[in-house]
Amino acid sequence: MPVTVLIVDVRSERSAALEQALLSAGFEVALRVDEHEDLHALVEQHQPDAVIIDADLPSRDTLEHLGQLGRRYPKPMIMLASEDAPDLVREAAGAGVSAYVVDHVIPAMVRSMVEVAITSFEAHRALKGELNRTQTTLVQRRSVDRAKAVVMETRGLSEDAAYQYLRKTAMNRRLALHELADELLKAARRR
Amino acid sequence: MPTDVPLNGHQLTLGLMPLNDAAPFVVAEQLGLFREEGLAVTLKWQPSWAALRDDLQTGVLQGAQMLALMPLTSTLGLDGRATPVISAMTLNLGGNSITLSRALMAALGEDGHDLSSPLQVAKALAAHMRERKQRGEPLLKLASVHPFSSHRYLLRYWLAAGGINPDRDVEMRAVAPPLMAAQLASGALDGFCVGEPWNSLAAAQGMGQVVAGSHDIWRFGQEKVLGVREDWAEQHPLAHQALIRALLNACAWLDRPGNRARAAEWLHDEGMPEVPMSVVTRGLEDVDVEQSVDDFQQHNPGWTIFHRYAANFPWRSQTRWYAAQMQRWGHLEGISDNDLEATLARCVRPDLYRTAARKLGMVVPVADERSEGTHPAPWWLSGEAGQVPMPADGFIDGAVFE
Repeated sequence: MPVTVLIVDVRSERSAALEQALLSAGFEVALRVDEHEDLHALVEQHQPDAVIIDADLPSRDTLEHLGQLGRRYPKPMIMLASEDAPDLVREAAGAGVSAYVVDHVIPAMVRSMVEVAITSFEAHRALKGELNRTQTTLVQRRSVDRAKAVVMETRGLSEDAAYQYLRKTAMNRRLALHELADELLKAARRR
Repeated sequence: MPTDVPLNGHQLTLGLMPLNDAAPFVVAEQLGLFREEGLAVTLKWQPSWAALRDDLQTGVLQGAQMLALMPLTSTLGLDGRATPVISAMTLNLGGNSITLSRALMAALGEDGHDLSSPLQVAKALAAHMRERKQRGEPLLKLASVHPFSSHRYLLRYWLAAGGINPDRDVEMRAVAPPLMAAQLASGALDGFCVGEPWNSLAAAQGMGQVVAGSHDIWRFGQEKVLGVREDWAEQHPLAHQALIRALLNACAWLDRPGNRARAAEWLHDEGMPEVPMSVVTRGLEDVDVEQSVDDFQQHNPGWTIFHRYAANFPWRSQTRWYAAQMQRWGHLEGISDNDLEATLARCVRPDLYRTAARKLGMVVPVADERSEGTHPAPWWLSGEAGQVPMPADGFIDGAVFE
């Protein structure tokens, strides 16, 4: 399946050249738009694999928001920096975030530019997902431990019995253990 | 150890957005307040919050006008790449409004709803949304400005107070401030929450109607803050103090009677020449000594306070309120309460405010935290040099935050 790219740029000459370069490199260009279009709707409609956007456009905040919304939307973004900012380019590229800045577009480089952006974005996202899962598990384990301590204290149970009590209650109420723990802790805080 | 030597042209680049509450930076520059503190400041207007954040994180900027949540979310690694950012100063209280399109207001009016207060409008909107759903019509589209913005959480708070579930009953978007009015006109949006002058502009162009302001939702809540990279602040503590003092003086100037019109002129010329001057001026108006605060606030939903009411003190509890909103909507998942508290303590720095404010003889609150929604009438705040008069506070749904 061809890789689809959305171009958001107010400088029509530059974006036309970019579109040509992308097409001849084998990409599909979903659309070339300027900042006055309804970008949110366009991204939802076309589901591009990558977005190339002028770094100076206000519309960047719309793409950031889409990136926060769900798994379907975060897209690798390639920034077109209009002024020469070599430090910024290097920094942002090295940071491995979804933003990948280039100061000007060389047609021969377009293919690797888009591919590198997509690959580094995917790698970054995988790493972030891994981190999030680890963090969530840790947080969940901590609240179960704290709920256990509360049950031990309020019901005068041993550690083992408190854990069994939590498990049984969670099962009866069809909750995950950590969900029940969170509820218990919330209630304990109110008291 | 840094010594107390005067700075001599310490160079700084600061980022700001085309909004009325960028005024402290513009005023400090125009009045020469940065220079008086030995700072050589370059102001860099930014096209989007994302661009401002990237410039601060990559070191193009040393400091910036920031949304209250940005130091926290940048430090936690939720916004851009993880970069510790601290804030020792709040720049202003309030200044945002919610504007609905003319078509939507007409529809609410035709339905015969009570639209007499911001809360009533939210309830009317809830009823209207239910009717639309029954008729099989698409969800209304409302926008705020950036994922980690006060606007997003004020808008969600207002909707929820009216009985609307922002994750189910409406489509939430982000649109940069200068593009809001045009999207309202084209029908891409049905409403938005944004800072001044963009509400006044939509109203002046006849495209929308302002239905609620920041203070209607959270009276005298924190809005923008001065954010600087933590490593910069540690390496340049004197320059950081000088920067805070310059901005404190600018904020104090802005709240002295008769100065706002001049500030509006500078803002217009420097940062938003495309917005009519009268619109900038209108959105920046301040209460007159003769007027009642309640009355003024009702007629000026975008009212911005820069200095009065201990406005510049970085209340850790106010930033926590925004963080609590993120938790409420599931936007802080994976961050434990302990980690959140530790990061709040790291990012919000009342200690650094106190050092600067004491030197200027300005208000220095004794506590780092305060309760919200517990003062139905004007009250007195304990300050180091005596009591400070404070206005009534509270939330649109009568909630208390302690």
